[in-house]
Amino acid sequence: MEVKEPDMAYGNYSYADYLTWTMEEMVEVIKGRVFKMTAPKRIHQKISWNLSREIGVYLKNKKCKAYAAPFDVRLPIKSKRNEDIFTVVQPDICVICDLEKLDDYGCVGAPDLVIEILSEGNNKKELKNKYEVYEESGVKEYWIINSMGQTLTINTLVNGKYQASRLLTSGDEITTPILPEFILSLEDVFDNLN
Amino acid sequence: MEVIEPDMAYGNYSYADYLTWTMEEMVEVIKGRVFKMTAPKRIHQEISWKISLKIGNHLIGKKCKAYAAPFDVRLPLKSKRNEDIFTVVQPDICVICDIDKLDDAGCIGAPDLIVEILSKGNNKKELKNKFEVYEESGVKEYWIIQPEEQTLTINTLVNGKYTSSRLLTNGDEIATPILPGFILNLEEVFDQLN
Repeated sequence: MEVKEPDMAYGNYSYADYLTWTMEEMVEVIKGRVFKMTAPKRIHQKISWNLSREIGVYLKNKKCKAYAAPFDVRLPIKSKRNEDIFTVVQPDICVICDLEKLDDYGCVGAPDLVIEILSEGNNKKELKNKYEVYEESGVKEYWIINSMGQTLTINTLVNGKYQASRLLTSGDEITTPILPEFILSLEDVFDNLN
Repeated sequence: MEVIEPDMAYGNYSYADYLTWTMEEMVEVIKGRVFKMTAPKRIHQEISWKISLKIGNHLIGKKCKAYAAPFDVRLPLKSKRNEDIFTVVQPDICVICDIDKLDDAGCIGAPDLIVEILSKGNNKKELKNKFEVYEESGVKEYWIIQPEEQTLTINTLVNGKYTSSRLLTNGDEIATPILPGFILNLEEVFDQLN
């Protein structure tokens, strides 16, 4: 049976198209364009694991829910119909507090918090394409972690535009209004990565 | 002959002390504390080279001067006497426009622009200790590059505090009031790092 897969040069794919593809590799679609995903390195997975653990423990018995990739986050512009959605991404970790956004597939609408962990090489997808669509869709905080340099940059939405924090690292303790009273010690995220 | 070297636990070394040390390894002193330096990796040196080349070309025939490590940058609090200076650092690249700050040993006073290239692992020295002392000393722009993830963060001094840019990357073109007419194409800095 023939595999159904997208044409990487085409620029107007919707979530409805995405659901018809049968190739094994995971892809993301951002404003209609298809982006490949590379298999994450061990250090990426360790950081993701550490963060998921810290957030997961905090969220027990609280209203918001957190998910790690793979998890379909669809960012519709207006309509929620699959044919009208042109962005579906797999954030490394996301936190959603408005449970109406959750359905069987994943999330429709902007998570409150998205975390992406950068690896070695070209990260334009996270730093430009996703940055832009997260900002436009209203993701309140977009956290970007550099796994090799052990830094965290927090982008906070202010009047529809992101403002960047300084490069945070081991020794810094992170709080966010999205998770009241949550304190993330970056030492716990970055230390013992070997 | 016995080697004269600092006690890593002592916290009040001055530039006068620094000049008496005879060990082979290079160190930095920040507010009296000694910090070891690790030998830079190839990717670090490649980026340092590319940026030095671009800044160097731009500065031909211009007033400002640029230097790459090793180069003693002393950040005095008030007095310029060696006994009264407690910070001497080796920025990867620095640009100095006030030529009175230059002497035979290096630079005394804040460079206008400093570029630091992070390594894999713990970068607290650059992100906390140097960040703090560069901010306090009045370094107008402090650029932090993470070579593996191919990002640049520009910290700009505003009313005595640094404001951070978003994570810049391939596709971004950098301009700065410190170097009028200079455009740094990050594609050229980060591409083909193999």
